[in-house]
Amino acid sequence: MAADLNAYLLVGAVLFVCGVVCMATKRNGIGVLMGVELVLNGANVNFVAFSRYTDLGLDGQVFSLFVIVLAAAEAAVALAIALNFYNNHLTIDVDRANKLKG
Amino acid sequence: MLFTELINSLITDTTQSLPRFGVELCLSATIVLFLLMRLTGLDRLIPACLTATIGALVATFLAYKQFDALHDLNAVPSVKIFTGLLVHDLFSVYFRGFLALFLLLTVALTSLTGIPDEDDSPDFYSLLFGATIGMMLMASANNLLMLFIGIEMTSVPSYAMVGFLKGRKPSSEAALKYVVYGAGAAGVMLYGISLLAGVLGTTDMSMLAARMTEAAAGGSGGLNDPELRTASLGIMLIMVGLAFKLSLVPFHFWCPDAFEGASAEVAGFLSVASKAGAFGLLVRFCLSLSGAPGTESLMTSFGVGLGFIACITTTFGNLAAYTQTNLKRLLAYSTIAHAGYMVMAVAAMLVMANGPQAASMQVDINRSIEGLLYYLVVYLFMNLGAFAIIAIARNYTFSEELDSFRGLISQSPTLCIGMLICMFSLVGMPPFGGFVGKLFIFASAFRAGQIHWFMYVVVAFGALNTVFSLVYYIRVLRTMFMEARPADARPVPVRLASWESAFVVTLAVFVLLLGILPHMMSQTANDAAQSLAIFR
Repeated sequence: MAADLNAYLLVGAVLFVCGVVCMATKRNGIGVLMGVELVLNGANVNFVAFSRYTDLGLDGQVFSLFVIVLAAAEAAVALAIALNFYNNHLTIDVDRANKLKG
Repeated sequence: MLFTELINSLITDTTQSLPRFGVELCLSATIVLFLLMRLTGLDRLIPACLTATIGALVATFLAYKQFDALHDLNAVPSVKIFTGLLVHDLFSVYFRGFLALFLLLTVALTSLTGIPDEDDSPDFYSLLFGATIGMMLMASANNLLMLFIGIEMTSVPSYAMVGFLKGRKPSSEAALKYVVYGAGAAGVMLYGISLLAGVLGTTDMSMLAARMTEAAAGGSGGLNDPELRTASLGIMLIMVGLAFKLSLVPFHFWCPDAFEGASAEVAGFLSVASKAGAFGLLVRFCLSLSGAPGTESLMTSFGVGLGFIACITTTFGNLAAYTQTNLKRLLAYSTIAHAGYMVMAVAAMLVMANGPQAASMQVDINRSIEGLLYYLVVYLFMNLGAFAIIAIARNYTFSEELDSFRGLISQSPTLCIGMLICMFSLVGMPPFGGFVGKLFIFASAFRAGQIHWFMYVVVAFGALNTVFSLVYYIRVLRTMFMEARPADARPVPVRLASWESAFVVTLAVFVLLLGILPHMMSQTANDAAQSLAIFR
């Protein structure tokens, strides 16, 4: 039993790390948002695995359903903001967002 | 359980919970009203700011009613509503009232300065009200699910509000930075929640402490125990998300950029309201974890770590504010520093609640939360006052640089006097509210020093930073009062008998009152803190 849980947690951890690396290294704004999605889905894998193997029960599955909905909402707003940035700067390279500093 | 039984118990639960959810329902109804008015074209006849004012007024009134009802001695001090997802006690009602009042003041400010133009105002107010509901959920969360939903419900409208001035380059850049960092922090926090909930086997925050004890029972109780280690990792990742919302160092970098790009009204809203909600959540989360036998030393070290972060945050915020020439950016760094002061109270609470004589120190624990709650109220008035003055002056000078405020005293003395009161209160000068708030927080941190020596260091840093902060606030005041107004500067003719002046004067009067008569508000804050302790 425990070994199975660990396998799922490993998948979740790999997704999480991939997402964090993606957020840190991508210069394209959309790429960064893809990294965020990977992190959220890594957490989702954890939730579903925990709900199957520990006494977290259905709470974990409900949690992951909420996360899927919230991720969609967040992605919608983030893409709208990225589009607005593109309209003003004609690029979505996050390194070009450097006018505000100090 | 039979299906009908399940449905019946759900119906009973919901009907009992809904009256206690009145403030949030009122705000939700106002949002629906905005959208319907948009659909039917009624928003051309009735200005949206009028609807928003009425909605916020009703919400404030309802929150006041709830507070009154809970103050009744016979009332049950703390009730779990919606099958235990939220908790209804004086603490959450205090935050509800606070946020509803702040919403009302923000709506008043936006209708004075007219930052969302007539076309956009229904959308803007929908976002504003939605974010406020999210903050109220944060302050009354009793489940890790509500913790996450509250934070997201606050963040997503905030991203859109920061980028609301669509055609302006700084605004779009600020929104992009805020959304990228914010979404990243939320993802990291969610991973932490999954670890904590999975290891402890529950998402109910009132059961976390007991489960922590169970997890610690088998092992050494320290970080060598794999279960506790995973739980601690989860707690730390959740703290990353909260620290981002509170703009604590090292997760503060979004704050100056977002504030500089956003309009001053939105920056004022974010600097007070989203911090307040996050503090409510931080207190609830920390209290739900503390007091578990077997994990005291772990939790004390978390408290000390929080105190360390508070020291770094205040010092960094105050030092970085020195070189700023943009007033909004300067106030953003001041916001970071103030978040640090307020975290000191939470650190003191965490250290005391996990100390050896936690039971006998209940009064002191309540005092530290009281200090935080009092400071938040003072902070509402003084920070909103400063941002409001920037917004009002901007409408005349079209600039938020410090230079455009040079010699303002010769043209609009009301604004300058208002700024003087707000800034002296932000420093923590005696006759103003900021002094009392700081005194409460430093006193409780000093009391916590008896448990762990590091809290004495925290108090020393707090006192030192008060001196640091004096310099840059005085620099702003000197520019406004002592220098001559340049001949080519745009005039700022704000007369005493105008709505703008009335707004600033109202805020300034409250800052003064909170400094002169602290016992009025501090008793209320203490009652709210006590309801938390009963809950524990």
